Amino acid sequence: MSFPLPRRHFLALTGAGAGSLALAACGGPDTSGGAGATKTADADFSGVKPAASIDFWTNHPGKSQDVEKQLVEKFQAANPGITVNLVTAGSSYEDIAQKFQTAQAAKSGLPAVVVLSDVWWFRYYINGNIIPVDALIKQLGVQVSDYRDSLVKDYQYGGKQWAMPYARSTPLFYYNKDHFKAAGLPDRAPKTWDEFGEWAPKLMAAGLAQRAFQYGPMAGYAGWTMQNNLWGWGTGWSKDWDITCDSDDAVAAMQWIQDTVYKGKWAGVSSKDQADDFAAGIASATLASTGSLVGVLKNAKFNVGVGFLPGGPKATTNVCPTGGAGLGIPSGISKEQQLAAATFIKFVGEPENAALFSAATGYMPVRKSADMTAVLAKTPQIQTAIDQLAVTRVQDNARAFLPGADQEMGKTAAKILTQQGDVKSEMSALKKTLQGIYEKDVKPKLTA
Amino acid sequence: MSKLELDRPVAVAEGAPPRRPRWSARSRRDFFIFLAMALPNLILIAVFTYRPLFANMQYSTLDWTLGSTTARVVGLDNYVTFFTSDDAPRVLGTTAVFTVFTVGLSMVLGLLVALALNSKVRGTTFARAAVFAPYVLSGVGVGLVWMFIFDPGYGVLAWMLRGLGGKSPEWFNDPQLALTMVTIVYVWKNLGYCAVVYLAGLQSLPNDVMEAAALDGAGAVRRFWNMALPLLSPTTFFLLITTILSSLQAFDLIRIMTPLGNGTSTLIYEAYLQAFGAYNRAGYSASISVILFAILLIVTVVQVRFVEKKVHYA
Repeated sequence: MSFPLPRRHFLALTGAGAGSLALAACGGPDTSGGAGATKTADADFSGVKPAASIDFWTNHPGKSQDVEKQLVEKFQAANPGITVNLVTAGSSYEDIAQKFQTAQAAKSGLPAVVVLSDVWWFRYYINGNIIPVDALIKQLGVQVSDYRDSLVKDYQYGGKQWAMPYARSTPLFYYNKDHFKAAGLPDRAPKTWDEFGEWAPKLMAAGLAQRAFQYGPMAGYAGWTMQNNLWGWGTGWSKDWDITCDSDDAVAAMQWIQDTVYKGKWAGVSSKDQADDFAAGIASATLASTGSLVGVLKNAKFNVGVGFLPGGPKATTNVCPTGGAGLGIPSGISKEQQLAAATFIKFVGEPENAALFSAATGYMPVRKSADMTAVLAKTPQIQTAIDQLAVTRVQDNARAFLPGADQEMGKTAAKILTQQGDVKSEMSALKKTLQGIYEKDVKPKLTA
Repeated sequence: MSKLELDRPVAVAEGAPPRRPRWSARSRRDFFIFLAMALPNLILIAVFTYRPLFANMQYSTLDWTLGSTTARVVGLDNYVTFFTSDDAPRVLGTTAVFTVFTVGLSMVLGLLVALALNSKVRGTTFARAAVFAPYVLSGVGVGLVWMFIFDPGYGVLAWMLRGLGGKSPEWFNDPQLALTMVTIVYVWKNLGYCAVVYLAGLQSLPNDVMEAAALDGAGAVRRFWNMALPLLSPTTFFLLITTILSSLQAFDLIRIMTPLGNGTSTLIYEAYLQAFGAYNRAGYSASISVILFAILLIVTVVQVRFVEKKVHYA
């Protein structure tokens, strides 16, 4: 079949097609140079009725799917007017962040409650994606003073509270008691890294594991646990917004770490999860999240010991970072949804529920009054994590607040630990990268 | 087959007034039938293919943080940043190495496997199914299984190497080894596709020509190089286009096996990492996607215009 198409018709058809494409291409962000993201002010929620149904996006941190289901059922029984849809929004904090930010871009499908990790909530704040929860806390009578102070403060910026603690963790020093005993070592975590440096050859000589110590995967959260080393050496990734990762102390700290792999040959780097490697008996000791505690105790076929993080030559205390995730409320949903979300967050944070969640995962009980007696009777190691909270330290801005910084730190650590890169030049390159991220992605968006 | 014809001025007799060709009732009816048939597809293609394409081109001119409702127009700055930073040689280099090795190995090994499967021995039906099976498996599942194989701590490969007195390489932490690992798994997964397509090509070779060559004294190797391979050139050409395009768009295995893209950041994965990985640079990511689109377009045009000329169609 063949037919002639007059030019006028052809042009009209083409024009219509192009027009529809142009129309279809509309959308995306506002480029008019307006005021930008609306940072919802403390709204008044009086007279607002909570929504009948809300979505709770979670990645089930610490294998918490069952306990989260339990919490949702308890909440619905206590609040028959609100249904909570438990949504698996990924398997990691990064997955959930990706889904959340995609929903922001699509301007639809947002949840009412979202799990936000220590390195993501600030980004949501500067993009205006979450609301401050102060007004809701006040209206619902949430006892903030009963929350553990350091965990609440982690989500404060600009005089407002941007999230509430949920699956909060710190790193712990895990050690294989059987290996330590066989190597003639005391049944405790080392006080300093230098002390462990003396113990490690004995562990290797005992020939009980492939390695005396296993570092976390560089694709994981190396930037988090390595703050312990940097702080012990008297420095950090940054001091406020000043990037300090190329300082002499930082280079010395990373050099010490590199030497454990290449000179001492008693440490290695995990490919997937150092806690799993430790539980499998591959290494005699490791540094991993408290959120891994229950899993390690369940899987390990040996006696597991836990202790505070070791110190360094310049600091032996307050060398443990806080971490983990909190719960936030998106700005792009209705007030009814926000109120229902806050009601759920309040419920999850009730002392008995905080204890329930902690018992199931090993995460910190976020409430001071949480009765941990039964939990500690079953898992006494959690007490070490709770005790360590008193000597924790807020994370470096560079790690927690700069988008992508954690990945850059991981890549740098990988070059140093797996490719024997020159420590000084790698840390200098990292500083340049982090400085660039700060100047481009954060500084212009910070309020004065 | 229907064909659109633009109304070019037609030759007219000298001195006669120019006459517009008639837009007859039949032509009009045909045109509306064409519209009725094509429009639903055209609309779907416009909305789900060209809309994202044009929107992405627009986003590539923005300084836009994913999740932010506002953005700043920066023109071609994102492209300038990409080509003037370390990203360009790193990402383009990784993409080139990954594409060359995955395409080359898939095709060469695929052809060898096809030759083996083409022989008339027992069990070839099972062997064909076994070779093709990985191609239809989920990339996520394949990636997870191979991660256990490559795991330096308790992987099968590490266990075998330890048994031989060796030590497992750091497949996941060393960027070069990570790229090698992903390439191996990609080739394993896609080998079956090339093998099956080559097998179909081998089975359609003209028997009389091949037999004539054999009668003339050409050995198996000579028949392969001088007869089969040239006759397979349309198959090779088809595979070259499809495997290059799919290799440039490989994502699932890289995402599962090396989520940080340490050493495995091809163009498409870098675009993903920049927008969704951690950096949230949606505008910059869009510019990388446009660069990938341009490369795909150039590769296809070059192949169709130049490589196809070398193809021998029977």
